[in-house]
Amino acid sequence: MTELLRARDLTKTFRSNTALNALNLSVNAKEIVCLLGANGAGKTTTINLFLGFLEPTSGTAMVDGIVVTDDPKTVRGKLGYVPEQVSLYPSLSGLENLDYFVRLGGRGRGDEKYLRGLLDQVGLSQLDADQRVRAYSKGMRQKVGLAIALAKGARALLLDEPLSGLDPSAANEFCRLLRRLADDGAAVLMATHDLFRAREIADRIGIMKSGILVEELSPESLDQTALEQIYLQHMHDDERLSVEAH
Amino acid sequence: MIGAIVHKELTEIRRDGRALGLLLIVALLLLLGLVTGLATENAREREVLQARADDAAVFAEQGEKNPHSAAHFSRMAHKPVVPLASFDPGVSSYLGQVIWLEAHYRNPAMYRAAEDAPELSRLENFSIAGVLTLVLPLLVLLLGYGSIASERERGTLRQLVGGGASPMGLLLGKFLVVAGVAFAVLAATLGLATGFSLATLPGTGYSGGDLLLRSFSLLAVYGLYIVCLTAVTLLVSTLVAEAKTALLLLLGFWVVTVVGLPRLSASIAEQVYPSPDSGAFWSDARASLEANRPPGGSEDYVAVEREVIERALGGEVREDELDGLALNRGAVRLEVSEVLGAEAYNAAFAELFENYDKQKNLRQWLSLLSPTIALQHLSRTYSGTDVAAHEHFSLEAEHQRNNIVRAMNEDMMLNGAGQSFGYLAPPEFWETVPEFDYRPPPVAATWSEGARDLLILLLWGLAALGACAVGIRYRRAPG
Ligand SMILES: Nc1ncnc2c1ncn2[C@@H]1O[C@H](COP(=O)(O)OP(=O)(O)O)[C@@H](O)[C@H]1O
Ligand SMILES: [Mg+2]
Repeated sequence: MTELLRARDLTKTFRSNTALNALNLSVNAKEIVCLLGANGAGKTTTINLFLGFLEPTSGTAMVDGIVVTDDPKTVRGKLGYVPEQVSLYPSLSGLENLDYFVRLGGRGRGDEKYLRGLLDQVGLSQLDADQRVRAYSKGMRQKVGLAIALAKGARALLLDEPLSGLDPSAANEFCRLLRRLADDGAAVLMATHDLFRAREIADRIGIMKSGILVEELSPESLDQTALEQIYLQHMHDDERLSVEAH
Repeated sequence: MIGAIVHKELTEIRRDGRALGLLLIVALLLLLGLVTGLATENAREREVLQARADDAAVFAEQGEKNPHSAAHFSRMAHKPVVPLASFDPGVSSYLGQVIWLEAHYRNPAMYRAAEDAPELSRLENFSIAGVLTLVLPLLVLLLGYGSIASERERGTLRQLVGGGASPMGLLLGKFLVVAGVAFAVLAATLGLATGFSLATLPGTGYSGGDLLLRSFSLLAVYGLYIVCLTAVTLLVSTLVAEAKTALLLLLGFWVVTVVGLPRLSASIAEQVYPSPDSGAFWSDARASLEANRPPGGSEDYVAVEREVIERALGGEVREDELDGLALNRGAVRLEVSEVLGAEAYNAAFAELFENYDKQKNLRQWLSLLSPTIALQHLSRTYSGTDVAAHEHFSLEAEHQRNNIVRAMNEDMMLNGAGQSFGYLAPPEFWETVPEFDYRPPPVAATWSEGARDLLILLLWGLAALGACAVGIRYRRAPG
């Protein structure tokens, strides 16, 4: 089993605020791991550390065996990243945006057929692909964001709450796609606060609270009561809670 | 990667109505500058040519006349309009166009479009150069302020860098686009200005090669200016968190370094090394002339007298022969006083030009704070409209004055022996006095004049580029 993402005692402190406290976590190829937690639990911080956007206060983040801080550029080449808010250039079309991001990621000029195929794969219609992004809904942007991450053929995907703002059918489609990618060999680390969706697609679920990974569970162990239990214990007590209604 | 950035940025500019509007306004302003410059300089050139022809005719047709009286009315030295004056009129409107080549006096140039004393503080003219120095920075900063800052603000920077894009490459791409668009505007403008100048060149006696070389030099220094400004713009855009902040900071930079400091530096230089007003300059020059004139019969006086006579006769004269020569003694006295006067005036003028030099030096120090100052100097130098160009003209005119007056005096000295001031030169004589055919020095002769400003502009460019490169590294976290 190839371990593609690995956090070892990974800690990040902002002044006196420990955003992430000694996280130990690994994600293997073909695996989807969901990080669950309320707002401020440390999910985005974890992803930023893997991307090299933040320097760890202590501990290490590794991608495919490389310590992130040693060679952030190479590391980023191996990662596909979808932020919570996918930002695109409004005056360019979805296809042009994808083309630009792909080329800047260093994959040369993506040929149009391949790029259109990707957009098709993430569920963006051909018609929409040629529209300027200015008119896109959030879901459409997320799809382009995912296509950008996929275009690199990255072996590890970091997704920061990619489902928020998607309508249920788009979210379902998105999850099916992730499963397929994982089955094809990708390692997926997805931050979310959507317990139910996490249970559906994750191989493992990490529950985070105030920067600490409090539990690691398999979805099979999560029946309805266990879910409610976790929800009340770890997620509900955060005042900035914003779990989507189900 | 760079190609992709350039392509995408240009697409965005093309699709963004505001950017196109901005370019249109810039184009209109430049066109206005071009037309104004060409119209002004053409009118001036016509005046100069007409006046020169009139002056020559009057001189040649003055008939029988005492040469010394002729030397008083004498000739005008007209400074020809250099081809690139329509691009950058420089100081020509302030330092005058015509020098009266009069016996006894080395006059300053007359017909200043700006009616004052030779004061250099109001250097701005509405010309292409003036518009370019103001507008190129504005164009660069409006195109570039958001380059990095708005990508950071929007979150695209995070995604790009997270996706493996190199921040340095991104910066380079943005740099090429912003500087490239500004450079295209510059090149088109200079191309037009040069084209029009070339079209009007035949018959003026200027070399097209020199004009092209000047245009390329201008392209290079204005290009360097664009590099400085783009680097500063991108540096600010890299360091701040929001595009709005970058815009405000850069507008502040523009107001201070492009609008304020050049004017301030001219005023400061004028305060520290005040240019004499013409009245004071005159009375000082005369006073020093009177104070230093050796009394008749003194050793110094006699030495000059002998020199003057030897020059007229074209051979050595022994001291004991001097008094016995058949010469018009009045003319000898005139030529001696001419030589003595010329020395005094040359010293006074040298001091005047040295003062302009000091002003320039001081402005050069201040250009360490604003590259615009160095650019203005270089622009005038390569256009052939700076103080050094005027000094060259002034010196050549003085040469011509010395020659004319000497020719007059020697004619009277040799042919009017015993006639004192009653001597009249024959009508054919005037034709033998050579015309003043002034040619400004080629641009190659001005390299050294521009060297220091060029160095300052280069330093600015390197410092700004360096700061930019360090800035993007220091600001590595794209969040
Ligand atoms: N750049 C930062 N500077 C200071 N504090 C931060 C920064 N980023 C995150 N934090 C803090 O770290 C904690 C974890 O934040 P985050 O990882 O964004 O949580 P999540 O993504 O789980 O909602 C929060 O308390 C947040 O305020
Ligand atoms: Mg978050």
